[in-house]
Amino acid sequence: MNRSILIILTICLTQLTSNSSYAVEPDEILKNSKFELRARNISKNIRCMICQNQSIDESNSPLAKDLRILIRDKIKEGNKDEEIYKFLTDRYGDFILLKPPLNSKNLILWLLPFIFLFLGIYVVFYHNKKSN
Amino acid sequence: MKKKVLILPSIFFFLILSIFFYLLIIERNPSEVPSNLLNKKVPVFEAKSLFKNEKFISSNGFKNEITLVNFFATWCKPCLDEHVYIKRFAKEKGVKIIGINYKDNPEKTINWLEDLGNPYKDILIDKNGKIAIDWGVYGIPETFIISSNGIVKYRHVGPITSEIYRKINLIIKQNE
Repeated sequence: MNRSILIILTICLTQLTSNSSYAVEPDEILKNSKFELRARNISKNIRCMICQNQSIDESNSPLAKDLRILIRDKIKEGNKDEEIYKFLTDRYGDFILLKPPLNSKNLILWLLPFIFLFLGIYVVFYHNKKSN
Repeated sequence: MKKKVLILPSIFFFLILSIFFYLLIIERNPSEVPSNLLNKKVPVFEAKSLFKNEKFISSNGFKNEITLVNFFATWCKPCLDEHVYIKRFAKEKGVKIIGINYKDNPEKTINWLEDLGNPYKDILIDKNGKIAIDWGVYGIPETFIISSNGIVKYRHVGPITSEIYRKINLIIKQNE
C-alpha cells in the first residue's frame, strides 16, 4: 500500500517538475538573450492556427516556425512587443491570441457568466422568499 | 408580482436558447475562421514574378478589375484538385487570376503548369511564406476575391469545390 502511494507521488512530482516541451529549433535562437526572451514570451501567447490549442512556441508545424522566425525578425528590426501583436492580429484577428482581449466584440462572452450568476441568485432568492 | 419576477429569467433563458438554435440551423462552418482582411485593402507587399522580369507591387497590381488571388504549390494535393476550377475561372469567366506560389520549387512549378495548363495572369514567388503571413493564410490552398478598387471581398480556405465555384462566381457578379 505504502509502496503504491510512493509510486503515485513520484509520478506526480515528476510531472510537476518536468519542463514543457518547446519546438524552437537551435538555428532560430537569437544571440541576444534579451531579444530571445522577448520572442519566447510573445510566442507563448500566439496560437498555432493549425494545431489543437498549442502556442507557436510548442508547435512543430511549419506555420508556427514561420511565425517564430517572423517575431524574431521583427524584434531585431526594433519593433515593440505591442507592434508585433498588432501586426499579427491585423492579419489573423484576435483568434491568434491564446488569451483573448476584452473588447467590444467579445464583451458579452466575458459578461455572460456574471449575468447567469446574478440571474441564478435572483431566482433562488425569490424562490426562498416564496417558500417562507 | 412574484410571477412577474420568474417570467423575466424564463424569457432570458428562451432568448439564449433561440440564439443557439438559430446558430445551429443557419448555414455556417464553425471551424472556419473569417479573414481579418475582409473589406480592407489588400496587404502591401512586393514579390518576384515567376515568368516576368519586373517586380510585382501590390499597390499597382489590384486596380481596375476584379482579381482572384490563389495561394498554391505543386506539393499540395488539394491544389491539384482545385486547378480545374481555377482554369474555369480564367477560361469561361475571363477572371484575372494572380497565383502565389507558396514555398515551392520554381522549376517544378513551371513543369506543373506546362502539364496542367496555366490559368494565372501572373505568378508570384513566396519562397519563405512571408507573403502568406501578410495575407493571414494558415494553410494552402486559399483563395481571395479582390474588388476592382483593391478591397478584399471574400476568402476561402481549402480547395475550391463545385459549390465554392458557384459561390465565388456569385460574389464576382455582385462586385462587378
